[in-house]
Amino acid sequence: MSKVIFSIRRFNPEKDSKPYYKDYEMNVPEGATVLDCLNLIKWTKDGTLTHRMSCRSAICGSCAVKVNGHPKLACKTQAAEEIINGRMKIEPLGNAKVLKDLVVDLEPFFSKFQKVKPWLVTEAAGSQQSAVNVKETRQSPEDFHRIDAASTCIMCASCVSDCNSWASNEKFFGPAVLAKAQRFVDDSRDKATLERVINLSEANGIWDCTHCGECVERCPAEVKPMDRIVSLRTTAIKMGIVNNNGARHVEGFVDSIRSSGRLNENIIPVKSMGIFNIPGLLSLIPVGIRMFLKGKNPPIIHKHIDEMDDVKRIFKRLKK
Amino acid sequence: MKYAFYTGCVAKGAGRELYSSSVAVAKRLGIELHELTNVSCCGAGVISEKDPLLSDTLNARTFAIAEELNLDIMNICGTCQGVMMKAQKSINGDVKRKGNINEILKDGGHQYKGKVKVKHLLHILIEDYGIDKLKRLVTRPLKGLKVAPFYGCYLLRPSAYSNFSSPDRTTALEDLIIALGGEPVQYDGRSKCCGFPIVMMNKESSLTMSGISLKEAKEKNADCLVTPCPLCHLNLDSYQPEIDKIVQTKLNLPILHLPQLVGIALGIDSKELGLNKHIVSTEKILSSFLKGL
Amino acid sequence: MLTHDVIIVGAGLAGMRAALEVCDKYDTAIITKVYPTRSHSGAAQGGVAASLANSTDDSWELHMYDTVKGSDFLGDQDAIEMMVKDAPHAIIEMEHMGCVFSRTEDGRIAQREFGGHSRPRACYAADRTGHALLHALYEQVIKKADKIKIYSEWYILSLIVEDNVCKGVVTYDIKTGRLEVLRGKAVLFATGGYGRAFSITSNAFASTGDGIIAAYRAGIPLEDMEFVQFHPTGLYGQGILVSEAARGEGGYLVNGKGERFMEKYAKAKMELAPRDIVSRSVQTEVNEGRGINGKDYVYIDLRHLGREKILEKLPQIRQLGIDFIGVDCIEKPIPIQPTAHYSMGGIPADKDGQVIIDDKGTKITGFFAAGECACVSVHGANRLGTNSLLDALVFGRRTGKALMEFTGNAKLHDINKNQEISSVRGRIDTIMNTSGTESMNNIRNELKEIMMSSCGVFRNKEGLETCLKKVKELQGRFKKAKVTDRGKTFNSELIEAVELQHMLEYSEVIVVSAINREESRGSHARTDFPKRDDAKWLKHTLSYKKPDGGIELKYKSVTITKHQPEERKY
Repeated sequence: MSKVIFSIRRFNPEKDSKPYYKDYEMNVPEGATVLDCLNLIKWTKDGTLTHRMSCRSAICGSCAVKVNGHPKLACKTQAAEEIINGRMKIEPLGNAKVLKDLVVDLEPFFSKFQKVKPWLVTEAAGSQQSAVNVKETRQSPEDFHRIDAASTCIMCASCVSDCNSWASNEKFFGPAVLAKAQRFVDDSRDKATLERVINLSEANGIWDCTHCGECVERCPAEVKPMDRIVSLRTTAIKMGIVNNNGARHVEGFVDSIRSSGRLNENIIPVKSMGIFNIPGLLSLIPVGIRMFLKGKNPPIIHKHIDEMDDVKRIFKRLKK
Repeated sequence: MKYAFYTGCVAKGAGRELYSSSVAVAKRLGIELHELTNVSCCGAGVISEKDPLLSDTLNARTFAIAEELNLDIMNICGTCQGVMMKAQKSINGDVKRKGNINEILKDGGHQYKGKVKVKHLLHILIEDYGIDKLKRLVTRPLKGLKVAPFYGCYLLRPSAYSNFSSPDRTTALEDLIIALGGEPVQYDGRSKCCGFPIVMMNKESSLTMSGISLKEAKEKNADCLVTPCPLCHLNLDSYQPEIDKIVQTKLNLPILHLPQLVGIALGIDSKELGLNKHIVSTEKILSSFLKGL
Repeated sequence: MLTHDVIIVGAGLAGMRAALEVCDKYDTAIITKVYPTRSHSGAAQGGVAASLANSTDDSWELHMYDTVKGSDFLGDQDAIEMMVKDAPHAIIEMEHMGCVFSRTEDGRIAQREFGGHSRPRACYAADRTGHALLHALYEQVIKKADKIKIYSEWYILSLIVEDNVCKGVVTYDIKTGRLEVLRGKAVLFATGGYGRAFSITSNAFASTGDGIIAAYRAGIPLEDMEFVQFHPTGLYGQGILVSEAARGEGGYLVNGKGERFMEKYAKAKMELAPRDIVSRSVQTEVNEGRGINGKDYVYIDLRHLGREKILEKLPQIRQLGIDFIGVDCIEKPIPIQPTAHYSMGGIPADKDGQVIIDDKGTKITGFFAAGECACVSVHGANRLGTNSLLDALVFGRRTGKALMEFTGNAKLHDINKNQEISSVRGRIDTIMNTSGTESMNNIRNELKEIMMSSCGVFRNKEGLETCLKKVKELQGRFKKAKVTDRGKTFNSELIEAVELQHMLEYSEVIVVSAINREESRGSHARTDFPKRDDAKWLKHTLSYKKPDGGIELKYKSVTITKHQPEERKY
């Protein structure tokens, strides 16, 4: 048992004009989780402290809170591991409105899933439901494994809490929703793959993820949302849904490496925007001029790397 | 100390000041560099979106070439570092994949054994070179300079591919700033994303990301930012005039590459550090330290 | 006052499955005190039973016999027959809805062994089966978002029944503290179990028997409440579930002397005997000093399964061990002890979810119950693993169909809204305005301790009577316990107080039913009456709330069709 100061962000909309931190000093019993500590505080020190919880076995997703700045499922986080210099900071999830203390408004999070039609589509649009099938649809273990990771999502919103793209653009679908989308895009039983991929390639979809890795880091399950998003991008390109800056960027990037071994920074922005995208191209001009004036423009003559033949050979070999 | 020097694309393109400052700092510290001129781009996490195997193969080729020199790799780009670590983990953890890749590399005369260590300059300074040793070489301590560290995502996340044992709690950049005589700014933006990877897809959102952190640093009285990733640098510096408009503040925050900050404290010539090649002028804010350079 | 044709309380498997049946035709509402995906169905790990015969021969007849025998012959055989016959279809339907299942090499739904089942018939999704089913249903429910209105974080406080007719419910919006009457032609309770009253439990914080108590207070009896299943493998000290799948995949139970002790208790089935038997075996080992280092736990050892199988089949269990007690089951055995797990008892309902309040078949018109809160009774005195998800799916679906039929001919009833609200308001005010000399926390802890120690795996008259006395004392002390949060917004302290009140009330029912049943059957093991007594006790308990607050016990007969009671051996 060691004395620990829990610094908890409190906010009661009925009383407080803005959030504040309140410290609680407490002995942490051996083996206690962060949720055990929150409950001990609530039950023995301050009944007004408010947080969500339910299963306390890491499957219901209720109890995600920020511990020392980043989201954790309180129920599966050992308190001892989160004590820094005798203190632990607990706050509500980020990228969400606080309703009270550690409880945030999850309606925007849950309602966003609708954007990706998170249900299995088994019939082509318009056709009638077939007569009751008496057997399961076959799915190979390999196909099951393609959707297994995403299907472990417990909708705790930890990934969204620390999502950088969401923080700067609330319209972004967000990691949990996109992972859910991957679970259907890659489901061998689903019949709406193309429609889904087209939808996901629109603004605020897969190409708005910035690869920051926060979602992978914060996910308490096995989802690794960013990896699911990357897989969606690969699928989109494979399916030829490439009329957007994201996919063009990938294609342009790969072309550049194929031809010279390194990135041609003069060409890539143009390729990403698309050569017929006049407003997009115009938007590149100010930063281009600015960089030119400071001598930051990439060399006009783009040199390839030494031993370019070997790199070209690898590209050829893998194209087969 | 000698490393296989992987420059990455930006240091040879739009961020050549990163290249020159890295070389200058290495020279001053007595770190020998063997520049790899026959290696390809790491793929920046972009090639792997088209073809993960292609991306891993290109990186395995780079690793093999460093192994042939019997040298560990030094990166000066946070993104290259993260992408290479991920590639290495994916190859080393999958014997079959490694076999396939070596089969492809064979015809070019390369074989990846799996031994090479991939390090960023930041790790090299902190762990291999040693912060105390570095401290002794400081001739122009950054006294009173408030520096906001900006790690960039790839050095930290996913932690499975990070050289830091506890990326959320690492203080590598802060320690370095202190060693150089400066004062690290404490702010949440340190580990946030600059938004660069989506600047071509959603400029507004991308620059807002930079803006959130820059504004926070500014509010915490930062004199400048330092970053170990030239892609962060591109967004934070080159686009700062646009970012100003988004956050409705004249930020005027110079963004330094990691070796530039080190170079200033070591008394290296500012031209050599390329401090004139910034969109946000470094001169005004750093003038007290640049005097007599 | 809000009005819907059909009001479903609870958004677990049974509630959402029913909603999908009825929503196309009738305006349907789901009230749930947690978001639907938080429902405790999601915590079920090991599997859901159906005689698909995907890896060996199997039949509904075998499934039925196993279930009847597992129930220690207290299960109603007509209902069991219905359930096991419906099972394959119910599972295939879930698969077609998109549920993710682990697969056999040829792409069929994979099936594993489970305690008390004579064939491998547990369909599974790794060790996250409940989660996979819950999310598949949730996906279907939000697909019908225009037809199903979900009231998340609304809490049920009262069931409105007059003259055996159900009219609606009174609910509390947790976010705002507002009381609201919901009027409906039909009400379905799918409110889950009541395992929270025990100190070691696998149940969620939310499993506080709220629906059961709302029904009980509305004059509806509770059936077979003494039958509380203790799962043999709860994580030591926590009670968090280590799925039976761990034994289904071949895990051993080992005592302090390193012996696979199940040999002594169930030589043929060993670790895969039904849960009541395995729990008693574990408890006996502990009681006789053969726990690990003489302590109150034994081991489940999975090491011989090997890393690959554990990672493929039991990933969640491994993670739980690592996160909660720092044990990686690939390298070390996991310390376990019996944990309160499942409520066989509940609101008496027939095969179509219709609530029936006596042995004469008297109905509460418009009131239905399904899932763990209901007692149909398909589990009798002891439920077999994987039959609970099945129960929720089959009876959720059947009840949904019954709701369709009922609602077509039903009408809305007049409700005196002010009276209903003020009655519930009064109850809340009483809790809010107590003198505050007692601690809610102490009362809750003391209740859970005494229920675990005296009304747990083994019971006897003396212990149960002590327990009853204690529960009554605690009920008295509750009247002096304090709620400090005076606010309306998300007052979770108030909710916890109401939940504790529910726990105190149903605990009394459990203990009184247990005292009366002077035999040992299934999960109800009396050391003073160690034998099953079919002559006297082959019957269901019905507990009624008397107007003075006391409990009146009645009994009703068991439906026996194909299988006469016989000695139960494994």
